[in-house]
Amino acid sequence: MSHAKYSVINTHVHNIDGVAKVTGRATYTFDVNLPGMLHGKILRSPHPHAKILSIDTTRALELPGVKIVVTGKDTLGIKQGIWRRYEELCDEQVLPLEKVRYIGEPVAAVAAITEEIAEAALDLIDVEYEVLPAVYEPLEAIKKEAPTIHEGVERNVNVTRHIEWGDVDEAFEEADYIREDWFKCSGQAHMCMETRAAVSSFTPEGKLTCWASTQSAYYTQGLLAGVLGLREGDVRVLAPYVGGGFGGKFELDAAMFCSAVMSMKLFKPVKVVFSREEDFIASKRRTPMFYYVRTGIKKDGTFCARESRMFSNGGAYTGMGATALYLSGFFHSFPYKWRGYRYDGYRVYTNTLPSTSMRGFGAPQAMFCSEQQIDWICADLGLDPFEVRRKNGHTEGYEVPGQAFIASCGLEQCINEIEKWVKSKGKLPANRGIGISSCGFMSGGIFNWFDSPYSFSSAVVTINVDGTVELHVGCQDIGQGSNTTMAIIAAETLGVKVEDIRVHSGDTAHCPADLGAWGSRQTLMAGNAVKMACEDAKKQLLEFAYAEMGINIVYDLDIKDRWVHIVARPERGLKYEELVKKALRAKDGQRIMGRGYYTPHRKGMISPAYSYMMQAVDAEVDPETGKIKIHEVMTAHDCGQPINQLGLIGQLEGAASMALGYAYLEDMPMEDGKLMNPNLVDYKVIKAPEMPEAGIIEIDTYEPEGPYGAKEAGEGLTNPTAAALGNAIYSAMGIQMKELPITPERVLKALREKKEQEAQKK
Amino acid sequence: MEKQVLRFKVNGDEYEVFIHPKTLLAEVIRDHLGLTGTKRGCETVSCGACTVNVNGKSVKSCSVLAIQCEGMEVTTVEGLEKNGKLSPIQRSFLDHGSYQCGFCTPGMLMSATAFISEAKNPTKEQVKESIEGNICRCTGYNSIVRAIEAVTQGKYKEE
Amino acid sequence: MINDFHYLKPASLKDALAMYAEHDDCKVICGGQSLLIVMRQGMVAPEFLLDIKHVKELSYIKYDDKDGLRIGATTTHREIEKSDIIAKKYPVLVAMEEKLASIQTRNWGTIGGNLAHADPAGDPGPVLIALKAEIKFGSSSGEKTVPLDEFFVDYFETKMEHGDLVLEVHVPAPEAKFGCAYQKFNLLDSDMGIVAAAASVALNADGTCKEARIVLGNAGPVPLRVTKAEDLLKGKKLDDKIFAEAGGIASEEAQPVADIHASEEHRRHVLGVLTKRMLKKAFEQAQKA
Repeated sequence: MSHAKYSVINTHVHNIDGVAKVTGRATYTFDVNLPGMLHGKILRSPHPHAKILSIDTTRALELPGVKIVVTGKDTLGIKQGIWRRYEELCDEQVLPLEKVRYIGEPVAAVAAITEEIAEAALDLIDVEYEVLPAVYEPLEAIKKEAPTIHEGVERNVNVTRHIEWGDVDEAFEEADYIREDWFKCSGQAHMCMETRAAVSSFTPEGKLTCWASTQSAYYTQGLLAGVLGLREGDVRVLAPYVGGGFGGKFELDAAMFCSAVMSMKLFKPVKVVFSREEDFIASKRRTPMFYYVRTGIKKDGTFCARESRMFSNGGAYTGMGATALYLSGFFHSFPYKWRGYRYDGYRVYTNTLPSTSMRGFGAPQAMFCSEQQIDWICADLGLDPFEVRRKNGHTEGYEVPGQAFIASCGLEQCINEIEKWVKSKGKLPANRGIGISSCGFMSGGIFNWFDSPYSFSSAVVTINVDGTVELHVGCQDIGQGSNTTMAIIAAETLGVKVEDIRVHSGDTAHCPADLGAWGSRQTLMAGNAVKMACEDAKKQLLEFAYAEMGINIVYDLDIKDRWVHIVARPERGLKYEELVKKALRAKDGQRIMGRGYYTPHRKGMISPAYSYMMQAVDAEVDPETGKIKIHEVMTAHDCGQPINQLGLIGQLEGAASMALGYAYLEDMPMEDGKLMNPNLVDYKVIKAPEMPEAGIIEIDTYEPEGPYGAKEAGEGLTNPTAAALGNAIYSAMGIQMKELPITPERVLKALREKKEQEAQKK
Repeated sequence: MEKQVLRFKVNGDEYEVFIHPKTLLAEVIRDHLGLTGTKRGCETVSCGACTVNVNGKSVKSCSVLAIQCEGMEVTTVEGLEKNGKLSPIQRSFLDHGSYQCGFCTPGMLMSATAFISEAKNPTKEQVKESIEGNICRCTGYNSIVRAIEAVTQGKYKEE
Repeated sequence: MINDFHYLKPASLKDALAMYAEHDDCKVICGGQSLLIVMRQGMVAPEFLLDIKHVKELSYIKYDDKDGLRIGATTTHREIEKSDIIAKKYPVLVAMEEKLASIQTRNWGTIGGNLAHADPAGDPGPVLIALKAEIKFGSSSGEKTVPLDEFFVDYFETKMEHGDLVLEVHVPAPEAKFGCAYQKFNLLDSDMGIVAAAASVALNADGTCKEARIVLGNAGPVPLRVTKAEDLLKGKKLDDKIFAEAGGIASEEAQPVADIHASEEHRRHVLGVLTKRMLKKAFEQAQKA
């Protein structure tokens, strides 16, 4: 690997939260326990669509130990949403006043002295509903005769998205071959190990403190302030260690909202923790999508045109669904150059669990369709799947017309590496195949739908007299290791060691605002802010060094491994700790402080930088039972400059496990709007024995927009796997899997149909 | 219904608690003894986040009545370190980055600890099976397997 | 939430049986790996809970070349899994235990509890029936021994009456030229089978089938013996063709119930495949034995 040699970056650094996590000292919102704390439970709608006629809380209030019962009437009734910039997309009252729109929607909340009493009180709340007709599928809900879920929203069409470039019809004319297919992509549960949880404490000074399992303390702060009628500055959100997020924990959820509402009335701390069942039925999920894909290609393999239409099952509210709609359509074009491209996405309300962002943000679904169809086209035309991808792939300097500018791009190297790897496997036994998929992903989003006035990321660094460093960031560590990544960047920039850095995050009272952990943004955006802050501090320090060392003006100074030195003559210098002491004295006892921030400007419509990859999945099918065995996953990956070595491996392997689950194990079947498997017995999450080896080949590129050339790693890695597995099965068995998840029963059905088709041909 | 006295050892210390017999071991550990390292992540004995060791054997504490542990020795994640010195498996986890959000980690460590004490030259498959009852949503398990393997191969000794 | 109960802790088996007979609204707990789940869901809420975890008299594994294997009811799954003598004489039992739930469950849960719970998707039932096991149960009034396949009566229901405890499982001594195999069909290794099949084959001196047993898991209210297919194999020369035929019969005779994991049709199909494969595996074992 020819990555530049750094002292700290891309070396084997322990995660800085490691000792806390392996010794049981790490406390999560789940563990927070305050004096006088009450326990909250939520009553949920049993109906998919119904008017709330009345809620009688008398019997519940009479139960000894119950301190309060709240309904929508006890709130300001504000319709909120995370897309704050667009009022019409702020469509959700967490405790609705007029009607419920999905089974599991909160209708009331109780706080009591024990969990058990709170739970018993739920049965004593009498809700009178007028059941309304409900609709569950987007293609049904979009019909004229379908029941209206949100008043004033015609045909239940929540959001639409149109992306187009080039002359699409002309590009189709140029094509020698056109293929069209329909695909059905399922939902998926985030299934964080820590369920949704919050503890709220409102005090007589009128200030709210909320411990929340959140991916963005800042978003939680803003959203809570908005619905509670408080100033943001009077709301403090603390994210202690967070037990996973994966895209499901940066909106306002019922744990945060109900605990806050009840605490504001009682002036006591209230804790609400979702049971695993609640987490399944009532925390928003990955968006199920129906995709129509039509692709035109020249017989030499040049891509001409693609036209796609996508209908997503939005569920009852918008959430982050609008972003998923857009990103799915955009990444559906990735990573190829299209002469003409057209995407129309329709997000449709239904009376089911709302869908939202989940790792990959619409791209896993988009790739499942695109990458499989490309393989089928190759088979139809006798083209080589690697060659076709190489021929049409993005390159450095390419502009996705009107959408994105591609700076660093290691796609071709990724394709080459995987081609080599696949060839090295040689001929595989019967019923076994290797499938590939390439893709790319964003390193954070450009669009400020939250309507934040703050920089997207900020950082403050302060150097103590002994050289230890306080680094205050707003980015949120949810397990992906951002605390460690920021410490690494800070240590490298300042020229010190990771153990000299103390990272402060997850507290809106002490940390600057940051949009949080989603869209794979933190390494690039928060990393840039940290780098800027540390460069600022280092510059101030070096000013004293220049004076102290009295060197000729032509020489440059730098700090590396706690040694302040002349770059051209590194043996001449002084210890970093010595310099810090002197600098402090020279500044009348003031610590050196640096500030940094980052907001992407003029970087296109989507993202300031894109990762690229190609993944291969080696899978085997039992032709008699349809059971699938994954042998191995190999990914060639371009994330620019890797920063956190252990973190990167963890992200690859973790993403593969989640993406494999999406591909062939996890499903959220509903009957009349009711989730049929809201538990970990029936919802199949991959376990250790099924997890294959997942190797990584790192491709060396340098992203000018990223700190030290870095870009995203971790979310993009979820994108290719379902497609690669589908392609593996196509390669092994000759069947085309157009529906997720790929189950044994669907495999056998496809094999039977193939056999029948072949028999008919004869 | 009458509360009962439960006398047992946790992490080497003698405890006496007064509990309803229906109290789960996980509840005694977390709520009565304040040892919140042990987590809970489901209601169906599926996730393994609550795994502790009872008389050296791994069990899911959400599925054990505390009262059945009368006279027994329970070890939780807090009991793995000795005077600030981490156990071999904890050090191996640190080196291999075998955790991300960390919520499953205490349970994983306890399953691993019991397995390591019982297994002799285990195969990779056996190591994987040792954590079959523990769900991890973050790591994809392989780094955990590598960490356990390293200990069973003698690469980490008690300090 | 678990409902409150009075906790009874007997010192001996005699004590346990006496206490059980004395209290009407009483359930027995040992490992509790099945019971606590249903108690937490509120489906079961007895006034008394009799804890036999510490009744040492029921925890044993005994083997004798003539009498065979006797396992006490409160023996844990893990103890069975790790037993050297069972690994040697009845390897299919060890193989079955290795895939039963997780190590944590096996460390605390017991064979007696598993059989008393009578889940037709449970692993031990079909395997033990294929091994021709019998089960001993009893109360303060006396003991009874029945072949295991007669013990299960319906979903989660056995021949036991109030006051009865499972006491012992007895597997006859291994015969010559005998093989037994078990496999479940699931997505994840540790899951209960969507469907499962156990098969045992005993061969005559000339290699033809002396006796076969085919027992299906999660294919009806109780572990299902496919006697029609067993009769087909008796006395015959065994080959792939007859195994497939037996599989076809198993497919037809099964009474699987569809759910979100698989349709009835798929379950029947897979049962046929598993039956065919397990018969072949058992046959190959028997030939080597």
